[in-house]
Amino acid sequence: MSLLRVDGLSKIFGQHYALSEVSLDILPGEVHALVGENGAGKSTFIKIVTGVYSPDGGTLRWKGQPVQINTPGDARQIGINVVHQDRHLIPSFTGYENLYLGLSYPKGKLGVGVQWKEMKQRAKALMDTYGVTLNMNKTAQRMSPPEKTMLEILRAMMQECSLLILDEPTASLTDQESEQLFDLIGKLTAAGTSILYVSHRMDEIFRLSDRITVFRNGRHVATVNRQDTDRDGLISLMNDKEYKKAHREERDIRAGEPVLEVRGLHSEDGKVNGVDLQVRQREVVGIFGLAGAGRTELLETVYGLRRKSAGEIVLQGRTQTSTSPRRSLDQGVVLIPEERKRDALVMDMAIRENITLPFLSRFSSGWKMRKRAELQESERWMTDLKVKAAGTEQPVGQLSGGNQQKVVFAKALLSSPKLFLCDEPTQAVDIMTRDEIHRLLRHQADEGCAVLFVSSDLQEVLDIADRLYVLHEGRIVVELPNKDVTPEQVLAYCFSQGKDRVHT
Amino acid sequence: MTEASKGISYIRLIRTYGTVMAGLLIVLAFSLLSPDSFATVGNAINISRQISFLVIIALGATLVMAVGEFDLSVGAMASMGGVFAAKLAVAGYPMVVVVLLPMLAAMAVGYINGWIVTRFKVLSFITTLAMGTIIGGINFKITGGATVFENIPESFLVLGQTELGDIPLLSIIMLFMTVLFWYIMSHTAFGRKLYAIGGNESASRVAGVRVAFNKNAAFALCGMLAAITGILMASRLGSAHPNGGDGLFLNAYAAAFLGMTSFKEGVPNVWGTFVGAAIIGILANGMTILAVPTFMQDVITGCIVIAAVLMQKMGRGTA
Repeated sequence: MSLLRVDGLSKIFGQHYALSEVSLDILPGEVHALVGENGAGKSTFIKIVTGVYSPDGGTLRWKGQPVQINTPGDARQIGINVVHQDRHLIPSFTGYENLYLGLSYPKGKLGVGVQWKEMKQRAKALMDTYGVTLNMNKTAQRMSPPEKTMLEILRAMMQECSLLILDEPTASLTDQESEQLFDLIGKLTAAGTSILYVSHRMDEIFRLSDRITVFRNGRHVATVNRQDTDRDGLISLMNDKEYKKAHREERDIRAGEPVLEVRGLHSEDGKVNGVDLQVRQREVVGIFGLAGAGRTELLETVYGLRRKSAGEIVLQGRTQTSTSPRRSLDQGVVLIPEERKRDALVMDMAIRENITLPFLSRFSSGWKMRKRAELQESERWMTDLKVKAAGTEQPVGQLSGGNQQKVVFAKALLSSPKLFLCDEPTQAVDIMTRDEIHRLLRHQADEGCAVLFVSSDLQEVLDIADRLYVLHEGRIVVELPNKDVTPEQVLAYCFSQGKDRVHT
Repeated sequence: MTEASKGISYIRLIRTYGTVMAGLLIVLAFSLLSPDSFATVGNAINISRQISFLVIIALGATLVMAVGEFDLSVGAMASMGGVFAAKLAVAGYPMVVVVLLPMLAAMAVGYINGWIVTRFKVLSFITTLAMGTIIGGINFKITGGATVFENIPESFLVLGQTELGDIPLLSIIMLFMTVLFWYIMSHTAFGRKLYAIGGNESASRVAGVRVAFNKNAAFALCGMLAAITGILMASRLGSAHPNGGDGLFLNAYAAAFLGMTSFKEGVPNVWGTFVGAAIIGILANGMTILAVPTFMQDVITGCIVIAAVLMQKMGRGTA
């Protein structure tokens, strides 16, 4: 008997079917992957199952019984929990406090004092059950991304939880960190919990799942057993068009003048600790490093968001006396930030307003914004990048993740950049958008731009980079031309560095 | 499906124009209750004069709210503007100095507010609360705690007491300021940047917007508008009290919050603030005509602000 059975589920937004007669069943103890491009209806499905949205049609059966899930509370009550890609932890609370969020604290005899001892025992029992080691006295803001994910999963398991929905759980984890998560998933399913696993990462899906369901444009396309399909088969189900496998294209690199030269760069907070690198015209340079290596910090220091304490940044031959985002933009340097929601877009503002924000002066004739010019330019970029939206005036927050990222790129391209600083530019976007972004960056490089590309997805770095640097603890440990480099070799550099440090 | 889309646009209509409609209902109610005193052209002009101070000071509050901050020193700065200007007028300075110097002084104070907030990342709530206290103290020092009214020259009264035909100069200044700041906020790059900062400060910084500079400018303009309010009040009354403008502060934020419920949903906006201030002014005027006791007026005004905000939240919940 299935744990959750969904029949003919529909959800309409305005005139548009976000979900159309979707049927799906989840068996006890299985890892069920849910895949589809951005906008395929995965998020809507999750929100209905967890009681955030109410469906416009269809039925839900839970353990064989018809059920109505009207609020997130209802969902938790019957045992459905979700861990989102955006974490829902209170930064200043400790692990224990976060664990008990939304639950009543165990109280003393008088019903007043909190029984911390009991809380801790219960947390420890829970961690023992699933073989997790976490310092629960740490506040959430001091935890690393995988620790936070573990904590959220533990919190879900505090109550009877039969179905755990993981929405892009590895989006901000490195490969090595993801391993810890996969271990935990194994233990959860062994204990009988079902997992609905939403991810864009094919290797994870094939590694973890028992069955895979594909959504496309709000419809259920297929549910297949893992062993009956492969990566290409799955991708062709997700997409109407015949999907061309992404692989490394040997580019004809006639690297030109250096666009960016960095010498002995240190950031004030010490996260960047003596970096030397160079990026030249027509080059795509990758930076790979494990979490905490200082990838984001390096880009931010070059861009001028983070203060540098020592070292030299030379842009197109000009040594920078001081750095700021404004100066960088004016010299043709753009940053694609890692955290789209936090650093890249003003969610309540229209697509047009977001695209033109870095160069408002270009659309302002003295005292007046030239709205027509703004409109034309934004429309042009939206068409160019195939942004799916109702129009230039739609608030960015209403777009799907992939389309939001396209707006971020439109905004960057508007400044006719010379140097792209890309920080995880394909994080949490669907595989088609990811390819589009890769193509776009390659095309920009062909046109004479320089691209510095950071990703925690090693395969992605190897796919796109002409040359790559390995970063470790704020330093470049090795520079490799990307010829016949294997992931194992790169990882070896990362890990061997770690060991060196232990010895010294 | 058409039913559903109709429902949504109906809700949107209420959310966007609900506050305006409520304002019109209030006008209608007073007109029915008191057709002879309330619903007259003379009284409409009278209301426009009464709300002019509130509108101008609330414009400043709106600007600072647009960048996601608060300026709680606006009341004290209005008092300062009035007292400072009156003192200068009594001392016989030319009118240009009498008006401009307090404005510049308040701009400087506003800028300092902004500088402390942006440079040291202190909550604006706390910074400006303390600044208000400081300014309040200085106001008392300047005046010795007494109202400035003796030997105020006639020329100082021009701004507040002139009428062009039947229309008070005050009402014209108010309308001019509202249009000016509406233009600035919705048609200039500066206004766009302020809204971008309020929408997402971090993303604005990455997009090359000079966040601190623009925030400081918003605080400075807010100070200037508060001082203008104080100067106009002193000119209207022919006297300046060291805490004469303090009472405007809460109403200024009430107006701005009411304004956030109209036109641009959830975003501080100039015409919204104007409508908010007008509602507060109309309520005060109408209830005074109906001889509602002052304490009841406060209770009713407070309830209406809460109701407006609730109405908007509820609209959002059903969507």
